[in-house]
Amino acid sequence: MSKEITCTSLVQEKLGLLKQNTHNTVNSLLAETALALAKKVDAKIENGEEIGLLEGIPFGIKDVYMVQGTYTTASSNLLKKYKAAYTATSIQKLLDAGAIPLVKENCDAFGHGSSSENTIFGAVKNAINSELVGGGSSGGSAVNVAKDYTVFSIGGDTGGSIRQPAGYNKVYGFKPTYGRISRYGLMAYASSTDCVGPIAKSIEDIRIVLNVMSGKDVRDQTSYVSEVVSEDLHTSKVKTVGYYTNFIESDAISKEIKADFLSTLEKIKAKGIKVKALDFFNADVLVSTYYTLAMAETASNLSRLDGTNYGDRVEGKNLKDTYAITRSEKFSEETKRRIVGGNQVLSQGFSDEIYLKAQNLRNQISARFSEDFETVDVVLSPVTPANPPKIGESLNDPLAMYLSDAYTVGFSLGALPTLTIPKGTSTGLQITAGKKKDAEVLQFSNFLNDIL
Amino acid sequence: MSKIMTVDILSSIKGAKPSESVNKLFDVIKNANQNNNATNTVHNNVVSLDDLREDVIVESSSLEKEIIRENFPREKNGFLVVAKVIED
Repeated sequence: MSKEITCTSLVQEKLGLLKQNTHNTVNSLLAETALALAKKVDAKIENGEEIGLLEGIPFGIKDVYMVQGTYTTASSNLLKKYKAAYTATSIQKLLDAGAIPLVKENCDAFGHGSSSENTIFGAVKNAINSELVGGGSSGGSAVNVAKDYTVFSIGGDTGGSIRQPAGYNKVYGFKPTYGRISRYGLMAYASSTDCVGPIAKSIEDIRIVLNVMSGKDVRDQTSYVSEVVSEDLHTSKVKTVGYYTNFIESDAISKEIKADFLSTLEKIKAKGIKVKALDFFNADVLVSTYYTLAMAETASNLSRLDGTNYGDRVEGKNLKDTYAITRSEKFSEETKRRIVGGNQVLSQGFSDEIYLKAQNLRNQISARFSEDFETVDVVLSPVTPANPPKIGESLNDPLAMYLSDAYTVGFSLGALPTLTIPKGTSTGLQITAGKKKDAEVLQFSNFLNDIL
Repeated sequence: MSKIMTVDILSSIKGAKPSESVNKLFDVIKNANQNNNATNTVHNNVVSLDDLREDVIVESSSLEKEIIRENFPREKNGFLVVAKVIED
């Protein structure tokens, strides 16, 4: 079925849906800008001018991206009135391509969480069952895409924050190779694994948005020049698929997810593709390595938030007191837990014993990935060990929440491209390839889409 | 003279204490097997010295400056108001 609709009507319809929605996905709407941009697109169409692939397409932005003049809160109390002074490179590229930003989306504050409950805007409710969490930290973005409130959304993934909510809400979510998309203008959580990535309802949409956002940026020295992912995704050359036995034989995985994952492997074998079991690091080592490094980096990155130049300052009796009161009152419990953990591991006497050991483990994990991708073309894994928890269940048990990231954090430490597809298990499948092989991930995912 | 800095001081968070859940993660690291060869073999995200950006000052736009001023927590006659710095 096809129907003609003006861009203005489309934008109005989506803004209406976002405004009325009860899933707590919206931190702020960009209605005025969106409608002005839509009008321009309609005028271009009316004049018979050619329009680009993304021109007039309404999208959402996780509220950790700078968009000049918009509230950019990171879902935190401290920045609830903060306005971005400039625009992130990745978002600017989408604006230049004509895409229309509709909404700054709810998430865990500063990316600190796996459920989008650590937010001042109310817990994000799952798109499929609103009693369950939306996942995190890019929960609002995944739910908006799943509910068709946005055509695509831009999430941020440090340890699984795009892939896990994509899995929980049955949409596609891609964490590209670290550095493929500039991080300039993304509020830093853990700079060595922070990635910009799209959430959408098809692999083709992921590909288009990825291509627009990719590229070297002088304002992010870790970004690199990458090749465009071609339109032809029907030529997967994958001959061997690997999977990590530790993930599947763990006590933490639900029976249903395990059975579905193993059945997916059988379907792949039936297509003549070799499936290879691989040994990997245990989940507790992966999670502990990731969180040790992420906490150290976030303690450092968030040290700038002291209420001096911006943010919701609480005055104390002197400068140091002002810093401490502001941070004590305005950071959430989870954010404080991570900052304190980070400062613990970075402090004298602990850094050798914990931080440097975690760096050593990260190097071992990276080296293992390099070895594995000598023998397999892609690695397949579940996204999560279990189905999404009920809202309220995760908040009282931080350790359980950290451990629920067991299958996503390793690929972040390895800086690898990984896509969640909403197939294979109840919370989806992750497809991972070697560094800079983002195209291979999308090609194989396309193949999986056809057989699952 | 050395002074012991507790995590609440280091973090500028009043009354902050290490968390039991987080300490459990650190215990895993302490007890994990280490590979002495791995430390310098993989360089995560290393930037080449030949590929650094130009060291030049880029002037912010007037809109950018205006928004930065708008974000001041306290402002007086166009200036940012901060508490006096008192040396310990």
